Amino acid sequence: MRRIIEALVQFRNPVLYFVLLVLSLLFLNGRSHFHQYYLEKYSLYFSQSFYNISSDIVNYFRLKKINVKLIKENKILKDFQLKSNSISLYPNAIKAKRRFSFKVIDANVIKNSYLNQRNYLIIDKGHEDGITSEMGVISDQGIIGVVKSVSKNYSSVISILNQDLKINVRLKNSSAFGSLSWKGTNPNDFQIDDVVISSSVIKEDTIITGGMSSFFPLGIPLGKISNYEANTKSGYYKINASLFEDPSQVYYVYVVENFDIEEIKKIKKDILK
Amino acid sequence: MNSNIITLIISFFIIVLAQVFLFNNMFIFGFINPMIYLLFLVVYRFDDDQTLFILLSFVLGFCIDFLSQSGGAHTIASLTIGFVRPLLIKYSFGVTSEAPSTFQNDLRRRNKYIFLALLILIHHLLYFIIVYFNWNATYLILKNTILTSLFSLILIALMSQFYKKLNDT
Repeated sequence: MRRIIEALVQFRNPVLYFVLLVLSLLFLNGRSHFHQYYLEKYSLYFSQSFYNISSDIVNYFRLKKINVKLIKENKILKDFQLKSNSISLYPNAIKAKRRFSFKVIDANVIKNSYLNQRNYLIIDKGHEDGITSEMGVISDQGIIGVVKSVSKNYSSVISILNQDLKINVRLKNSSAFGSLSWKGTNPNDFQIDDVVISSSVIKEDTIITGGMSSFFPLGIPLGKISNYEANTKSGYYKINASLFEDPSQVYYVYVVENFDIEEIKKIKKDILK
Repeated sequence: MNSNIITLIISFFIIVLAQVFLFNNMFIFGFINPMIYLLFLVVYRFDDDQTLFILLSFVLGFCIDFLSQSGGAHTIASLTIGFVRPLLIKYSFGVTSEAPSTFQNDLRRRNKYIFLALLILIHHLLYFIIVYFNWNATYLILKNTILTSLFSLILIALMSQFYKKLNDT
């Protein structure tokens, strides 16, 4: 304390000068609108750069929280996106009121294999979170697979990189149906079978889900046609396709729940009887 | 010593009133407005307490600002002059030689005018920078500073002659 006072006495002139300078700046600020404007501009500039630094630091520590919030928001947006993608593809989309029976649940991938011929994923949501088997799993730019078995907190998913999985798809421009399957080599190499030769196929056309599988709603964009050839003997096209997203590098996924799946299953059973 | 203080107080008021009512209404060539209140900061004793001097220069600038309805430019400029005056004395009268006790009693004419010119130039430059407060007005600031300094210098040099006789003790 004594030292502080001694220092103050020793440097009393500079201290007095700066105190009075601040006072006169305040005086200037109060008296003149012109100077007020400029002083505010400069003070804003300085405080803004200071706040920028501090908010950068604070934001860094809040990243996890923000991430959680964004995932939640994304889930809602994904719901809307699926709905709007799907409903707009039907004819008379504007006039008719249409039921949309899908809802999404977000999940994290905790294990992802892609080197085998039959690959599986494990996600960190189970039947406690409302997941049952035979639900579709999508990511932000395509589809990932179908839920196979469910435990309390985890579920396994048949990856789209699995030769057993065939997904009902449609071509966006020609609306021809086919089924997409993996070739079993490169995680980006897919083929579409069963497209009838009478339908028109364009290169680079977008592939969307067909809406006939009850796992996925209609209209999720998956990938595009890389090349094709017409096989006149069999009457089908042979189409090679690539996905928008590499399924081996996915960490956040959405599980698509279909409310009406029991109803659909029941009708299927009736047909088989 | 006592008469000196009285002289100082009276001259303070006279200088302020003269600046506000006479020289602020003077527009040489239409825009030059000489600032003679710096005279007070020149004739104040060099060997007196620096802290009191800073305070006085602040009060002087404040009075001028207050009476001439300007912002705070006079206050800041004259306060700064009050703060840097010891440095100016040192540089204009020489670091090694003994500093004079008052401005008017010293006989080194060239050093005196260097001191006066430096003080006025710094004050005016600061004043016009604060008044215009804009990078685009650099030319205007320099023009005003140099021309106004010239007239202030002449007037203050003339007026400091009065003090020569008053302070001769």
